[in-house]
Amino acid sequence: MARYLGIDKVFSVLNIIKENGGLRASLYKLYRMDELKLGTLVGTDKYGNKYYQNKRFFYGRNRWVEYAPQYYLDYDGSQVPAEWYGWLHYKTDLPPDQEPFRPKYKWMLDHVENPSGTPGQYMPYSTTTPKIEAWIPPKK
Amino acid sequence: MSSHAIRAGTKQVRPILSTDRHEARQRVLNLYKAWYRQLPYIVKQYDIPKSVDSLKQKLREEFRKNDHLQDIRVIDMLVVKGQMELKETVNFWKQKGTFMSYFKDTVEPKPKDFLSKFLSGHN
Amino acid sequence: MLRTTLIKALNAAKLSPKHVSVVSRASSDVAKKPEKIEVFIDDQPVLVEPGTTVLQAAALIGIEIPRFCYHERLAVAGNCRMCLVEVEKSPKPVAACAMPVMKGWRIKTESEMTKKAREGVMEFLLVNHPLDCPICDQGGECDLQDQSMAFGSDRSRFTDIDFSGKRAVEDKDIGPLIKTIMTRCIHCTRCIRFASEVAGVDDLGTTGRGSGMEIGTYVQKFFLSELSGNVIDLCPVGALTSKPYSFTARPWEIRKIDSIDVLDAIGSNIVVSTRTGEVMRILPRTNEEINEEWLSDKARFAYDGLKRQRLVTPMLRGSDGELTPVDWETALLSVGKVLRNAGSSVGAIAGGLADAEALVALKDLLNRLGSEDLCTEHTFPMDGSGSDLRSNYLLNNKIAGAEDADFVLLIGTNPRFEAPLLNSRLRKAYVHKELDVALVGPKVDLTYEYDHLGDDPNVISEIASGKHPIAKKLKAAKKPLIILGADILQRPDGGALLAAVQSLAASTTPSEGWKVFNILHKVASQVAALDIGYTPGVDKIRENSPKVLFLLGADEAAIDKSDLPEGCFVIYQGHHGDQGAVIADAILPGAAYTEKQATYVNTEGRAQQTLQAVSPPGQAREDWKIIRALSEVIRVPLPYDNLNEIRCRLHDVAPHLTRYGEAENANYFKQAEELAKTAKSSNLSGSPIDVKIKELKDFYMTDAISRASPTMAKCVQAVLKQKQSKY
Repeated sequence: MARYLGIDKVFSVLNIIKENGGLRASLYKLYRMDELKLGTLVGTDKYGNKYYQNKRFFYGRNRWVEYAPQYYLDYDGSQVPAEWYGWLHYKTDLPPDQEPFRPKYKWMLDHVENPSGTPGQYMPYSTTTPKIEAWIPPKK
Repeated sequence: MSSHAIRAGTKQVRPILSTDRHEARQRVLNLYKAWYRQLPYIVKQYDIPKSVDSLKQKLREEFRKNDHLQDIRVIDMLVVKGQMELKETVNFWKQKGTFMSYFKDTVEPKPKDFLSKFLSGHN
Repeated sequence: MLRTTLIKALNAAKLSPKHVSVVSRASSDVAKKPEKIEVFIDDQPVLVEPGTTVLQAAALIGIEIPRFCYHERLAVAGNCRMCLVEVEKSPKPVAACAMPVMKGWRIKTESEMTKKAREGVMEFLLVNHPLDCPICDQGGECDLQDQSMAFGSDRSRFTDIDFSGKRAVEDKDIGPLIKTIMTRCIHCTRCIRFASEVAGVDDLGTTGRGSGMEIGTYVQKFFLSELSGNVIDLCPVGALTSKPYSFTARPWEIRKIDSIDVLDAIGSNIVVSTRTGEVMRILPRTNEEINEEWLSDKARFAYDGLKRQRLVTPMLRGSDGELTPVDWETALLSVGKVLRNAGSSVGAIAGGLADAEALVALKDLLNRLGSEDLCTEHTFPMDGSGSDLRSNYLLNNKIAGAEDADFVLLIGTNPRFEAPLLNSRLRKAYVHKELDVALVGPKVDLTYEYDHLGDDPNVISEIASGKHPIAKKLKAAKKPLIILGADILQRPDGGALLAAVQSLAASTTPSEGWKVFNILHKVASQVAALDIGYTPGVDKIRENSPKVLFLLGADEAAIDKSDLPEGCFVIYQGHHGDQGAVIADAILPGAAYTEKQATYVNTEGRAQQTLQAVSPPGQAREDWKIIRALSEVIRVPLPYDNLNEIRCRLHDVAPHLTRYGEAENANYFKQAEELAKTAKSSNLSGSPIDVKIKELKDFYMTDAISRASPTMAKCVQAVLKQKQSKY
């Protein structure tokens, strides 16, 4: 009956709002991510990004990440660490903590996000010597 | 006496189209009017990001560029050139970009005086 | 063979007939002109003086005979055999360079026999010459390459490669300037003859004979001379090439621009070779009046200094006391503000590399501001007529004139290193024309013998009074020269010294039109600066203590911060970060001499212009334009906007400044001498006369450009290393 009248849509919206932590939190999330979805929390990485899954959505939209709050609006795909990348892109169905073959060595570096556009970015430079060497004033 | 003859000789030039300044002026005005009437169609046809008003302004500007000319032969030549331009525009022989080159928004004028030439490195 | 003839020449003994060509000039004005003789070259009659060689006679009617060893300015060796020509009724071909023509000879330069002889000689030369033209630096400008194309055989008969192979010779290390690939040597001995005849260092020679013959320095040592680079030009093959230039460019891809050297006051004519906006090398340009076809090593090799230590952007000293790069607008505005606030309390010092255009623009600017404190870095006494009479500060008798002198008195100068090409002229006159040289000053090596009269300045007055033994010689001389170094005039008694030398010059009895009194300057800008009206010496700045000091390329540290009042704003305009830039509060980057079209006047008063070979680096601008722009910022615009207009201004100031290539004579010697007598300080002090540049290691680094040059630094190192070696 409710379904027939379309009231279940209203209920599911209310449910989504509830699951996302109330009206205020939902509006904030909507503002931050332009999207409000309901899903089961699959895991959280060490940076605080949360990974969700909801099989109700079609393939390609049914796994997503909610970036950690400290990123605010500056979230970026490269903030997903390599171990979660595989799960998020359907390379594997196992989240990293359940994956038995994932190597773990001491020398493995921490994940770094793409530094393009930041002072840390790579700038190509010329390796040829300049034709004219400029004078550098002596420091006092 | 002889100098008078020379002056007379140099002054009397063989006309190409117009015989006097009045006729040349008439030709210029005719050309101006022809362009002026064409402007709304140009905006439509060429689909350019300009309004008819700004085209009118540009048209005036283009004509004003040559308002110092006295020689009727030069004026006639420019009128002919203007007619050719108009024909090309009307017949859509020009393309949008070519027409837009009347509006050189990004072209900076070359420095003329010594100091600005010096500062810009044009010597 | 060469050695013995040279010793003969040095002793002025009778010369062998082979050297007739060399002495012909000397003997021609002595005896009455002998009758000319007629010879026929390729059936063209030509009348020549007796003693003319076949090669010279052919050159008179424009027939060029190929040669490797023969060179107009060197003794005849006659050992390459390339110039073989057929002479009618002679059974064998004769070497044209060494054979004087006889009456009625019929010489055939294009006959079958001549051609065959050339082809044979070329074949023998190529037997022992490597085929490495593609990697040879001489490739494209090689005499052997060209002549083998013109006169050589079109195919090779060389099959010996499997047995003894081509001759190979070990390369020699003869210094940081000349690269040797001795296998390429064809033993023309030009380098040996140049070293011993022109440069005056008997370092090079041959060892061994036949196919074992080698050119070298006998022992492991460097060939160090101030003229050593010329052997690179002389070498007809790629055996001696330029080390700094090696493998950097090919002759057909470089652009050549005629210019003027400004690293000494001689003003040698040069060709600047550039490629991709970079100076690749500098070569001499023939000018019989100045540098013949030689060039000193500093002028030739210091060009890499133009690429280092450059000022490429305007700089201002910030509040933290550091010089920071700014753009032109900021620099001009802040400098202009300082200049406006200073009013007329502005001084200027022009350095040794400043061009006449910049000098006149700076003078106009400061005069408009109401200041007259325009000085040159190098002093000249202002007692007597000072710099008012041009004859006081010129090398009046001209550089070429030094060759004709019969007695030269050098006072306080070392021409070998202050003006190497003047010294080569003196040496030429000494070797070929029995010139006597005497020197007052420290004992230095001039590459020829001279009477050392000690370094006491009172010797000059002794000579003048006739007490000194040399006085007789000076009086008797028909063409005496007194060359006074500009350096010693910086002494406190410089005015007295100048007066003494002038009266000494006046006491001689030269032949008509001969000018005895000569000043040898050390820097290129000095004569132009004095012509334009700069005050020589920086004393005026010290006295007036200006609020703003403008240094136009003044890098000799003639003045430092302690001489200036507290808070004096120093503006440095120049092209190199050197001593001037360090003390500056604002730096305006100018152009070096290869980067601007500018006028320079050499020590003999000859105006010449450099041409722009490359563009100034970075934001550097032509010097006079900077001053012109600055004048507009401080609202006293100078009335010239382009080169023509400023040249007109130069013409107004002194017309000779724009008569390029002509040396403007000076006169009023008598009056100058009279005025000099009225000078205040007429007492010579007893302190010995000294010169700054005594030996080769001091020669290489004398100005901002050569100090920045790595090649010149290597030369200094080489000299020091040579000193430690046992040879």
